[in-house]
Amino acid sequence: MIFNIFKKELKETLRDKRTLIMMLVIPILIFPLILNVVVGVSSSFEESAENKTLKIGILGEPDDYFAQKLNEIPNALGPKTLIPYHGDSTKMRAHLKEEKLDLIFIYDSKFSEKLDKMEPTKLVCSFDKTNIGYDQRAQKYVQFIEAGEKLKRYETLNIDEQQITPFEIAYENSASNQKMIGELVGGFLPYIFIAFGFMGCMYPAIDLFTGEKERGTIETLLTTPVSRWQFLVGKMIVIILSGLMASFFALLGLFLSINFMDIIPDPEIMKVVNQILSIGFVLKLFFLLLPLTVFFAGIMIPIAVYTKTFKEAQSIIAPLNILVLLPAMAGLFPGIELNIKTAMIPILNIVLTTKGLIGGHIDYSLLALSFLVMLILAIIAVMISFKQFGKESNILS
Amino acid sequence: MIKVKDLSKKFSLNKEQRKERNTNDNFAFAVKDISFECKPGEIFSLLGPNGAGKTTTLRMLSTVITPTSGSIVIGGVDAITEPQEARRKIGFLTGSTGLYARLNAHELIDYFASLYDVPNPVVRERKKYLFDLLDMNEFANKKIGKLSTGMKQKVSICRTMIHDPEIVIFDEPTSGLDVITAESIIQLIRDCKSQNKTVIFSSHIMGEVDLLCDRLAIIHKGEMKYKGSMESFREQMSEKSITAEFIKTVQA
Repeated sequence: MIFNIFKKELKETLRDKRTLIMMLVIPILIFPLILNVVVGVSSSFEESAENKTLKIGILGEPDDYFAQKLNEIPNALGPKTLIPYHGDSTKMRAHLKEEKLDLIFIYDSKFSEKLDKMEPTKLVCSFDKTNIGYDQRAQKYVQFIEAGEKLKRYETLNIDEQQITPFEIAYENSASNQKMIGELVGGFLPYIFIAFGFMGCMYPAIDLFTGEKERGTIETLLTTPVSRWQFLVGKMIVIILSGLMASFFALLGLFLSINFMDIIPDPEIMKVVNQILSIGFVLKLFFLLLPLTVFFAGIMIPIAVYTKTFKEAQSIIAPLNILVLLPAMAGLFPGIELNIKTAMIPILNIVLTTKGLIGGHIDYSLLALSFLVMLILAIIAVMISFKQFGKESNILS
Repeated sequence: MIKVKDLSKKFSLNKEQRKERNTNDNFAFAVKDISFECKPGEIFSLLGPNGAGKTTTLRMLSTVITPTSGSIVIGGVDAITEPQEARRKIGFLTGSTGLYARLNAHELIDYFASLYDVPNPVVRERKKYLFDLLDMNEFANKKIGKLSTGMKQKVSICRTMIHDPEIVIFDEPTSGLDVITAESIIQLIRDCKSQNKTVIFSSHIMGEVDLLCDRLAIIHKGEMKYKGSMESFREQMSEKSITAEFIKTVQA
């Protein structure tokens, strides 16, 4: 009997445009859209920042020593135009503020003499740090000039550069690519799956309970020789399935965008990403999402049963989304790890467990504890749903 | 056969409702100590103005709500202790019944037949009989949401009768319907009587009652005001019309 109810409810749900958009269309498009925009925008910004001819203000004259050194910098480090300010630093700074200049260099009028005498001197480089790429460009220019000056001094002092370099340092990353990916996106991905799981449940929950009341079909249904718990279970399975499907389509969207949008140029990282998105990972992820989705359905059903209209139900359930996603957001912060305490916090535990799964470093006892916590909550939520669905005052308006 | 004895339904009142009713009582009776019987092959009408307790009574008969006290026997089954068994014997149709707009008539009827555990060959047979009878074949594959009110009402009738119930409950079945659609309901009630089914229907339209029913009960504010045959009601009338007599009975 429950299967008959499930079959009918699923058929109806799949014919509801709102549910289909929320369960299938938006989840499957979200990652391609986000990644397309992020990758497209950031690469176009980087490209334009690299190729932009910077207007550089210099405090001295167009033929002074510093200007000559700047002119010697090859165009490969970025094109530039020099604008001399003949000692007027106030005007130059004002022009920088007004964005008439991109970068300014302020230096002593005896800059060249001091360098020759090997006396300390100061070089100020000023720019608007909110402009992408200016930071790197300024560093490259200064490093180029500084390296040339150093070489000159080594020659003057007759010093072998090798002798004054005590050691060469190399920093190596001991974290595997998988762990790095886990840290970078491990919190964000489960957040997305949880958000879509919630939204995927919302419309079917309202449609299958409040909708029945609003359309006047509930009374007829309750005159059939089927018990209320069977209706509840049949409908609930559809709601849970919709939530899981929304999460699944979000995952599918992610998989498709990674594999067909060429957003990961490094083949090594691409290999690791595909290893992460294995069938084993997907199964483990949905094993964790299952009690969470049951819990979502369990908290939505009593509201949907209690409310009289679609709008009323939506106005209560939609803000609940923020409440549910708050603990999920905590998982995005660095330093929050899965331990006995965090495994007891619903939703956050799922985010952190999934983060661990993505990073390939998961303590399975904590995974089991997280699952158990969510399972207990899901059972409580289902019991509340059953109690509310049994109330005459909630069923008949 | 329906046997109802000393049936009552008490609702708790919230602060707002107490203020509206100008009472300090925490409870109010929607139905109080109602008793009646309805036999197979007989049309029994439950009459009363709006808010009289008709719908509450019929909802208790169809086991959608549980009585506070009293007993209901539906086709020999105690509807309070064995509600699911009692529901198997009932077909329930109300004027305000909604249908699933995204299903077509075939899908909807199949679904309800499955809820009543009707075997597939019987469903096919009953569907063919009812679809032919109600002239539904032309729109049976169309989504219900796209059907006219009359067509929807036919689907509702078919849904009510698919499991061939021995007891049929109609709660203001013609309410809000045009005369042609209402006529299909009147015909259905007559057919049920001729098929020896037990029929109970509620209404506040005296003309409809006069036309159809064998026995009637008039209720007002949850209490029984009159119970007897239609014939004896007509005989004891002191007013010129049945409607006037009904109003007099209610106001007595």
